[in-house]
Amino acid sequence: MKNTISKYYPLIPVFIAYLIMFLIGFSVPGMWQMVALLAFYCALGQSWNIFMGMTGYVDFGYVTFIALGTYGMSLGISYLYHFEWLGIGIIFIGILLALFLASLSALLEAFIALRLRGAYFAIACIGINEGLRYFIEGAKLWGGSEGLIFSGALMQALGREVANQLTTFWADFSVFIIAALAAFLNMHYMRSKIGYALTAVREDEDAAKVMGINTTKYKTIAFLTSGLLGAGVGAMAWGLKLGYVYPGDVFVIHYTVEGIVVVLLGGAGTLMGPVVGGLIYGLSKYWLAIIMPGFQLLIFAPIIIIIIVAFPEGVIGLLKSRLRGTKYKMFIE
Amino acid sequence: MVSSQLANRESMIFTLLAGNLAHGLLLGGVYGMATMGLSLIFGVINVVNVGHGQFIMVGAFITLTMFTALGLSPVVSIPVALILGMALGFFFFYTVMRRLIRAPELTTLLATFAIGILLEEIAKLIFGADFRGYNWGVGKITLPITTIPMSKVYAFIGSIVIALFLYFWLSKTRLGTTIRAVIEDNEGAKVCGVNVGWIYALSFAIGIGLTVMSGVLLTMFIPVGINPYMGGVYTLKAFVIAVLGGLTSPYGAFFAGLIFGLIENGAYTLFALIPGVAPFPLTISLAFWMLFFLLLVKPTGILGK
Repeated sequence: MKNTISKYYPLIPVFIAYLIMFLIGFSVPGMWQMVALLAFYCALGQSWNIFMGMTGYVDFGYVTFIALGTYGMSLGISYLYHFEWLGIGIIFIGILLALFLASLSALLEAFIALRLRGAYFAIACIGINEGLRYFIEGAKLWGGSEGLIFSGALMQALGREVANQLTTFWADFSVFIIAALAAFLNMHYMRSKIGYALTAVREDEDAAKVMGINTTKYKTIAFLTSGLLGAGVGAMAWGLKLGYVYPGDVFVIHYTVEGIVVVLLGGAGTLMGPVVGGLIYGLSKYWLAIIMPGFQLLIFAPIIIIIIVAFPEGVIGLLKSRLRGTKYKMFIE
Repeated sequence: MVSSQLANRESMIFTLLAGNLAHGLLLGGVYGMATMGLSLIFGVINVVNVGHGQFIMVGAFITLTMFTALGLSPVVSIPVALILGMALGFFFFYTVMRRLIRAPELTTLLATFAIGILLEEIAKLIFGADFRGYNWGVGKITLPITTIPMSKVYAFIGSIVIALFLYFWLSKTRLGTTIRAVIEDNEGAKVCGVNVGWIYALSFAIGIGLTVMSGVLLTMFIPVGINPYMGGVYTLKAFVIAVLGGLTSPYGAFFAGLIFGLIENGAYTLFALIPGVAPFPLTISLAFWMLFFLLLVKPTGILGK
């Protein structure tokens, strides 16, 4: 019994970090938006890490899932708001739609793109993302390039009071929940057969196959998990919170890259990594936007390059090698 | 009466299609040339340059600046773009890419993406974010189906000349054969005494030089489309073309570019006939579905084994 629980010890610092962030945001006036931004980056990194960190596959089109999640929530609210008897249920229908769209595309991508490796996989993922974006714009699907604007619909369906509470508090709060869930799943996979199988895939996929590991199955599980969590982040942090969606706003590869940077800053394939990376990235982005508006990207681009070249293993990676053999080791993963 | 109107409409569509295909062929030549650099770089150092389109943007701005500020014709910009592009290539190779040769895809993709952002932001700092353009008035030719500005014809001829140059350089000179040997088998080349490190640097620089040079030719097709953020869409088109051409073969990329130009303009003309859709984004989306399909069915490209 002790063994089962102790394998989850590394979750403790992660959950404490999330709790502290939440408490700061909740109690200090004016801090909620910043904490929400940090939670968004942590959740993004954590969800992305589940697939990428463990398998080494680079899903450059990860933002597809976030975008589809946003669309799921938006479709739910825009098309169902006049059914008054649904009440708060439309939010749950929105979440279900988000998960449905994301799992559909994740399964399709897993079925087709996961046969490809390395650069081919990354290019295929970018292709799917752009293909979907321009298809929505071109076929004038779901409002086409004009998108869907539904903050009014939300108010009409649930009343101003409830809608306000949903968009200003519950949307951000659920991002925390998703981040925590992602951390738990990450830990769970790491400590189970799935994690070992995926590590084998990362080290040498052909050898793993020869050893009798059903690599496709485990890759698909991780891919689907990662995609569904991403869809959840999209549905809440973009869909419900903002009240609108445009294809040109959500299918943007920059967000995938932000996720990658968060993970790399903290350390790819580690549990604490995305949290540390999310905090560093979110705080510095927030701070740069205040002191040098408009120049964030100009500063970030060289920083990204320096991080890749000089610290490819990230903060937690460095810490892990420092703490090896000490009693703190079991808290760091 | 009705049938004659219908026949009229059909012949009009046919003329339109033929005219657009002619434009597509010219643009396709430039697309092909613009992708050769991507394929060369992928072939030699196995890096997908996600910042590819941003280098095309650099070429476009070089042309614009030389034309508007110095009054020099784009023909002069071609060698200037090659030299500046190669200088950029060597710079980024020795500062960044050299350390990432054996690194996993994640880091190389991210590094080239960051280089792309850096170029975009520097261009924005210098030129601002407005759309700009210039007009190289060198006359036009009138065909029965359409009118084509001579500048586009020159761009097409330029891309063919550059592609032929690259072909002869790669196949007939010693340095060129060495590069091809490294593409085939870099361990083997190393054993035969090739200074692989230098070949990596040179190929990367030439790849970037070609890409920047293609930016010069591309400006003939975008009269008012020069902008720091114009590159992204060309990166994505270049991916489709490179995969169509087999990803490691610069010649394959050139022919794939021609095919892509034809498909793009042909599809645009046909999509424009469907009521209730936006033909332009639909055409771009078709390109990506094509990419996806190709990666599945024939990842070695149309000319591949």
